[in-house]
Amino acid sequence: MRTRPTRIDQVIPSIVERDAVSHHTLEAQRVLHSMGFVSEIYACSMGPGLAGRVHPLSDLPRDTSERQWVCYQASIGSPAADTVGSHPGLKLIDYHNISPSELIERWMPHLGEEVRLGRRQLAELAPVAELGFADSEFNRAELEQAGCRHTMVAPLMVDTANFYSPPDQRVVDRFEAARLRGGHDWLFVGQMLPHKAHHDVIKALACARKMFDPEARLHLVGRESCRAYADALRRFVSALGLTGAVEFVGSISPSELSAYYASADVFVCCSDHEGFCVPLLEAMHHRLPIVAYGVTAVPETLLDAGIVLPSKSPALVAAAVQRVLTDHGLCDSLVAAGLRRSRSFTLEGARRAFARAIEQALQGA
Amino acid sequence: MTSEVVAEIVEQVNRLRATGQVPPGFEDDLDTCFEKVAEESLAADESMVAQGSGLGSGKTIGGAASRMRLAQLRQQATAVARRRCGPSLRRLERQAALATARAGEAVSIWTHVTVDHLERIAALSPRASRVLARARPGDSSVSAVATMYPTIEGPLLSWVLERLGAAAPEGGRGEPARVLHAECGDGRVVEALVARGFDARGADPRAPVRSDGDTRIVAAGALEYLGATLPGTVDGLLLTGVVDRLRPGGGRALAQLAARCLSPGGVVVLVSTRPEAVIAMDPVAADLAHGRPLHPVTWYHLLARYGLSVLATFEPDLSEPDVFAVSAQRLAPPQLAGRDSP
Repeated sequence: MRTRPTRIDQVIPSIVERDAVSHHTLEAQRVLHSMGFVSEIYACSMGPGLAGRVHPLSDLPRDTSERQWVCYQASIGSPAADTVGSHPGLKLIDYHNISPSELIERWMPHLGEEVRLGRRQLAELAPVAELGFADSEFNRAELEQAGCRHTMVAPLMVDTANFYSPPDQRVVDRFEAARLRGGHDWLFVGQMLPHKAHHDVIKALACARKMFDPEARLHLVGRESCRAYADALRRFVSALGLTGAVEFVGSISPSELSAYYASADVFVCCSDHEGFCVPLLEAMHHRLPIVAYGVTAVPETLLDAGIVLPSKSPALVAAAVQRVLTDHGLCDSLVAAGLRRSRSFTLEGARRAFARAIEQALQGA
Repeated sequence: MTSEVVAEIVEQVNRLRATGQVPPGFEDDLDTCFEKVAEESLAADESMVAQGSGLGSGKTIGGAASRMRLAQLRQQATAVARRRCGPSLRRLERQAALATARAGEAVSIWTHVTVDHLERIAALSPRASRVLARARPGDSSVSAVATMYPTIEGPLLSWVLERLGAAAPEGGRGEPARVLHAECGDGRVVEALVARGFDARGADPRAPVRSDGDTRIVAAGALEYLGATLPGTVDGLLLTGVVDRLRPGGGRALAQLAARCLSPGGVVVLVSTRPEAVIAMDPVAADLAHGRPLHPVTWYHLLARYGLSVLATFEPDLSEPDVFAVSAQRLAPPQLAGRDSP
């Protein structure tokens, strides 16, 4: 067992409210405090509501006496990684995955460059880190591939209790009014970024309306984080004549989100890259059957709690959605499996796993 | 069980395709349609960025994410300013002394922006009073400032020369690397580069006409000179001075011009002032308003935006605690990510 540090500080490129990795970092701080460590969070940038809880990266202490460890929350390229790399303290990496640049750079060259930088920094940091932990097996394998000697899975600290807010009645009423015209409601939740492949969900909807369900509707919930991509989606919807069938919802309140989950008939995910995908967990929690393209960490997050497709050709996705909506036995079994799966992710369990990861590092990984 | 269901669905889709219930070419048409609108949207986005100017165009660069980040940076800087407000006068006096000693143009430019606050403390600090007198826009003493240049020396000079040393001509064309220093002040870095075997040139709006006929240093502003430089003809580019007094949107223009001028694999070194140094000098009004040095993170974004990959940053030391310097490389054509890339 190595010398026990007095403080384990966390470094994160950017921390904001209502963000899964940011929430995880704040929870990790609570766990570290409960283990008796001094622990502060240092960030390059922070959301307005976090002033006082998070410090500027330039204030990160540099204790050379082995009494300070640094845990880096890796999810994007950032000067913060270089600061951690040159820090004298023992290093831990908490890896949340970095989207491949080729999925992004066409739409957002600057973000493409950031993620490329992130991958380079991970390759530099991983070999010198004492321990790397990741929130999925998929991420853990990437961490190992990057050269991390000791790795383990420590789930994302997500408070599933926060998934439920009283559904906004206005949204529920809108759904009910639309349903009078017939047709099912598809839902996808995620930032409007190109690798989330909203366009493939729209293609599948177009196919479904042609083949099975002429009145099917799609609701896309999530912040429009890439203007060009959001514009292309709107042009696409217009070109396909789906203007009344696709709703661009944007970022909404927890109770509105609850209403969307409660009112939709199926959750459809065609993402090309997910390191974990919290919305899948939310959909399971809200008893929504899921049809998803099975890439990256999606199959691991879902297990048997959704239809995991080997490709996302529009006809295949449309047919899978139609099967789920019409085969009530299948739908019920997916919902039941989803509930079991979502209950396996508890905040307390994730906290214990994080504490175990720290204990393992204390024992010399 | 779900794998059996998936197999059944795949089988069903195969049947639907075979029987024409999925119309032939329908899925391909969807792909084609999206590609078409994608190109239109990207072109429209490009046009918005290209046509924008000033703060408006700055906002368009990174869309909502960049706006959010800039807002965060502003909030962050303000928080730092608040924390440092207590000992502000003593610290300001120290910084004024430093400013007086260094007499760099960058420092004087900050004081253009912070002139109101310096006026308030001028009565308390003879040193601040002197800085104010030199820096006031339109003041007769500005001509004195104009003869002084930002200094690059000691560890910073070594670092800059080392980074520019990586600027080798593309494909090893057997010629010395072409390096441009904008704004080069009195040209001492240009001379150091020439001594190291570079084909170095400088541009500075205050450069006097050389009586000895040496045309290595020309009288031109950085943006003007870079704008007139042929694309892809510079192997190394050193940007100083102008970096600290950009007009709104100037950061974007500078990064874009730098990327345009560099040859593939070329290196740009940018030397600026840490915003924290400005905050320390002027804690009352410090934020990231234009007219002050941009935050390093903003530079990272701007450089990346135009296909420049950050290589290294200068670690400030005791001799240069207020300096921020970064080197970045223009990616070789196959790796070019940005539609903005030249």
